[in-house]
This record gives sequence, C-alpha cells and structure tokens, in this order.
Amino acid sequence: MRYFQLYVCFFSARLKAMMEYRVDFLIGALSILFIQTTSILFVKIVFDHIHTLQGWTFHEVLFIYGIAATGRAIHQFFFENLWVLGSAYIRTGNFDRILLRPIPPLFHLIADRIQPDGIGQLIIGVIVLGIAIPELSMPWGGLETLILALLILSSGLIFIAVNLFFATFSFWMVDSFPIMSTTYQLSSFTNYPLTIYNKGLRFVLTWIIPYGFTSFYPAAVFVDQGGYHTVGYLTPAVAILCCMIAYFFWKRGLRSFASTGH
Amino acid sequence: MIEVRGLSKHYRIAKRKQGLLGAIQGLFIRKYTSKKAVDDISFTIASGEVVGYIGSNGAGKSTTIKMLSGILTPTSGDVLVNGIVPYRERQKNAKKIGAVFGQRTQLMWDLAPRESYDLLKHIYQIPEAIYQKNLHEMTEKLQLHSLLDIPVRQLSLGQKMRCEFVAAFLHDPAVVYLDEPTIGLDVAAKSRIRSFIKQMNEEKGTTIILTTHDMQDIEELCRRIIIIDNGQILYDGDLHAVKNSFLHEHVISFELDEEKEEILIPGELEGLVTYIPEEGNSNKLTLSFHPETISAAQVIAAVLHHYRVRDVSIAEPKIESIVQEIYERGA
Repeated sequence: MRYFQLYVCFFSARLKAMMEYRVDFLIGALSILFIQTTSILFVKIVFDHIHTLQGWTFHEVLFIYGIAATGRAIHQFFFENLWVLGSAYIRTGNFDRILLRPIPPLFHLIADRIQPDGIGQLIIGVIVLGIAIPELSMPWGGLETLILALLILSSGLIFIAVNLFFATFSFWMVDSFPIMSTTYQLSSFTNYPLTIYNKGLRFVLTWIIPYGFTSFYPAAVFVDQGGYHTVGYLTPAVAILCCMIAYFFWKRGLRSFASTGH
Repeated sequence: MIEVRGLSKHYRIAKRKQGLLGAIQGLFIRKYTSKKAVDDISFTIASGEVVGYIGSNGAGKSTTIKMLSGILTPTSGDVLVNGIVPYRERQKNAKKIGAVFGQRTQLMWDLAPRESYDLLKHIYQIPEAIYQKNLHEMTEKLQLHSLLDIPVRQLSLGQKMRCEFVAAFLHDPAVVYLDEPTIGLDVAAKSRIRSFIKQMNEEKGTTIILTTHDMQDIEELCRRIIIIDNGQILYDGDLHAVKNSFLHEHVISFELDEEKEEILIPGELEGLVTYIPEEGNSNKLTLSFHPETISAAQVIAAVLHHYRVRDVSIAEPKIESIVQEIYERGA
C-alpha cells in the first residue's frame, strides 16, 4: 500500500515533467499510433490476397495481434525505464543515487519514468480487439472480458519479465541494451499465430523466450485452431514464473554490482 | 557513530593488450589484475564530528564512501554506521544518511525543486510538520525562496547546488557524505554552502564527512582530517597539527613596477626567506618562507618598503602538496 501511494507520487511528478514538453508527449503517442496502424494495414493487405492463413481468418489474426499490442502497452507505459538501466543509470553512475534511497532499487527505477508512447500502443490494442472480437463467431460476455483482461495482464507481465531479465545483464556488462533489443525483436513473431512457424522457432518462443504466451496461447483460449486451448489457461502461471525468475536474477545482479561497482 | 575496522576493497581489473587485436583477444582470454582501492583502513568518527577525507584522485575516497553508504560490499573488514552494517541493511542505513555528490544531482531536472522535495518527503516518510519546518528553515538559511518554483534546468550551478543541499538534509540524516560539494562554484556560493554545513552540524549535530580538493572547505569546516593515498591512511588527526608540520612553505610573488638588472632580497628578510628565481621575468620577485619564522604581512611590508610593487600574489597551499609531502617523508 505504501508503495502504491509512493508510485502515485512518482507518477504525478513524472506527469508534471511531461507536461513541460507537451509536444513531445503528443508526437510520442501519435508516432506509435502511426507505426502500429501501418503494421495492421500490412496484415490487412496480406489478407486481401489470401482468405485464411493456415486456417486462421483475418479477424482471428487481428485478435492475436490485439492481445500482443495491449500486453505490450502495459510494459511500455510502466516499465520503459528498464531499457535505459545501462545507459542512463549504470554507465553514468546514477544507479548509486538510487542505491542511496531507502526504497527498493527496482521500484525506484521503474517509478522514475512513465512512457506516454504506451498510451498510443494501448489505444491501438483496444481498437484492434474491438474490431476483432465481434467477428470471432463466438458468444462474448462479461466472463470472457474478465478472462481476456487477466490474460492480457499476464501477457504484459511476460514482456516485463523478459526485459527485466535481459536488462539485468547491465550489472555485469554496463549496458545490455543490444541484448535486450535483439530479444525484443523476437516478440514481433507473436503478432501472428505460432502455428505458421517451424518447430524450432515455436520451441524458442514457447520454452526459451516465452513470447508465445504474450498473444498466441492466450488467444487460443478463445479461438482454438491447433489444440492449444488448455495451454492458453497456463498463461498466468507462466507469467508469474517468468517474473519470479527475472526478479531472482535481478537480485543476483544487484549483489554482483555491489561487489564490483563501476 | 561510524566505525571502520580493517576495511579493504579490491577490484578485479581485466588486463587488455593494446590495439584492436588486443581488444579482440580480450574477448576470449582475459588476465585479471587486482587493484587495492582501499587497503586495510581503520578509523572511528564520533557523532557530530566534521571530518575532511582527502587524497588525490583515485586514492580510494569514493570507494570508502560507497562502502560507508552501503553501495559497495567490502572485500574484507568491518563497517558500522549508526549501529548498522550498511551493505547488509542498505535501505535501513539509507534512511539515516544523506549525500551530496558535486557531480550528480538528486533533483528532477524538469521540475521545480519543491516537487523534488515533496517526493523526497514521501520516499523518506518525513512527517508533514517536520518536513514543513525543515524546508522553511533550510530555504531561509540558503536563501532559496525565490528558486523553489523554478524548474531545476533553468537554475545556475550555484543555485542548483544550494537546492541539492536541502535535498540531502531534509530528512534529518545522522550522517551526511559530501563529495566535492563546492566544485565549480563561485566564492559567494561556496561561502553560503560552507556556512550552511556549519549550521547544520552545530544545530542538528549532523556528522559530516567531506571529501574535497578545496583547501578552504577543509580549513573552514573541519577540525580533523583523514588523508588517504593508494588506499591507505597516511594521516588521521588534527588539521592544524598537520598544517604546521607539513605546510611550511608559503610562497609570495611580487610583480615590480620596473625591470631590474638584479633583484636583491631586502636586508631585514635575509636568512628568513628563500629567493625563488623565475625564468625570463626580470621584474618578478618570488619568495618562500616558513609561517612560523616570519608572517606573510612582514614579508610584504619589507618588500613594499624597498620596491615599487605593481601586484602581489600569494600561492594557495594545495592539499595535494601536503599529501605529496607526507608521502615523500614516508609518514
């Protein structure tokens, strides 16, 4: 509860700072809208030429896309600062400042920034889901919405956990941004059904970097095209497990940082 | 208050060969050398002391302060601050300490200092009444009223540093670490900050550890200094004692109004001062002397009596020169 209140304090301070740069704020949110819209148009163009993608209809693919976009928005809005742990905190020595404060460093790092681009991402995600869901030819009600919300939250947590895990390498190598962004690239595969990829890639996206659980498996709970209905329900468990592993690794990195410094 | 016993910190440094080839080789095979940043130091600092912690760059000052504040885990030895082992209970320790790093800010760049203070109130859980009282008192002392609502990015360095000090003292810390707090500031800003430090120490009994290259900071604030070099303590004790025994050379330069074939030392100074010849300048008279034998005023008076002088400059005693000298004497 204390940390929730404290987060609100950080949040309002960040918001005020952002208002100092209103134009930046707008450009950020709009550019994400633009980027996302073009990539959805791309999906649309593909489906103008084919009717189904290995059995998946346009709206089913959109549904997967929407879950990924919304989950990503959670990560982008709240946890964006993980990207700059190396460049803005460790390399500059500002991480020492964080360690001098009587609050957990991870909390401090996260609370230090909110990224308004996440709002653009969220808007796109919700719009896409709004277009896709009525066309899924299945009854949709309150319970479905609730389950979807839980799955999207889990999707966001997985994005967060993966980025936290790879950001932590910065404690040893000063700036792990290249590793983070390379891994993050993989997540664009999960805008589409995993079944269209070969075995190797599917294995990686399920067992190694579980981005599959950020969109495809959750979608399978509602749209079952490959017998992954039950697997989809595991998404929250996968999310929690990923967060635990990432957080454990973060703690390990912190300890190592304390013994070497930079 | 602060107890340090046999404290050491060794870093492992990868040894690389020169050039691109060496860099590539370094990717696969690395040899490590160990650097003793801090090597078996011990000291005790009582509550309410102001201690100058000095030494050249890379002597181990920052490493020590990082260990005292819990950022770094020592390789060996014991540290106790307020009865807490900092690296084991870093957050608990953090509640009771404050810090100003001259090169780094804890204020939010885009916002007015007041916003940063408000956030610090929540971070350190400062009761509202105490927060208001401290903020009021400290802004008074540092004359910050007019700056509280201006975005930090628009403040001058001196203004920023003053705001920085409020941030460090706001939560009534028992110990404050000041790392080069007056670096790059003008004389007025320096003196305002020094008097603030003095006041906080006297009124609140704050223990202060100050690292600086500015001799005047030390002279005005500290009764005790600890000199560190190569990770080891060279001297720990009274400031005046060390100054008297090591700072024996004062140097004064006179620029004379006319060029002279030969500049003679005034008779009354004979044997008391040493003439330092300067190349190329036939109108310069540079003298060095020991302040216990003769005062600077006497030297100046004697020279003025014999020559028409255009300018006088007194070389500032450098803390580095003391360290150098102690080192050479093998103290």
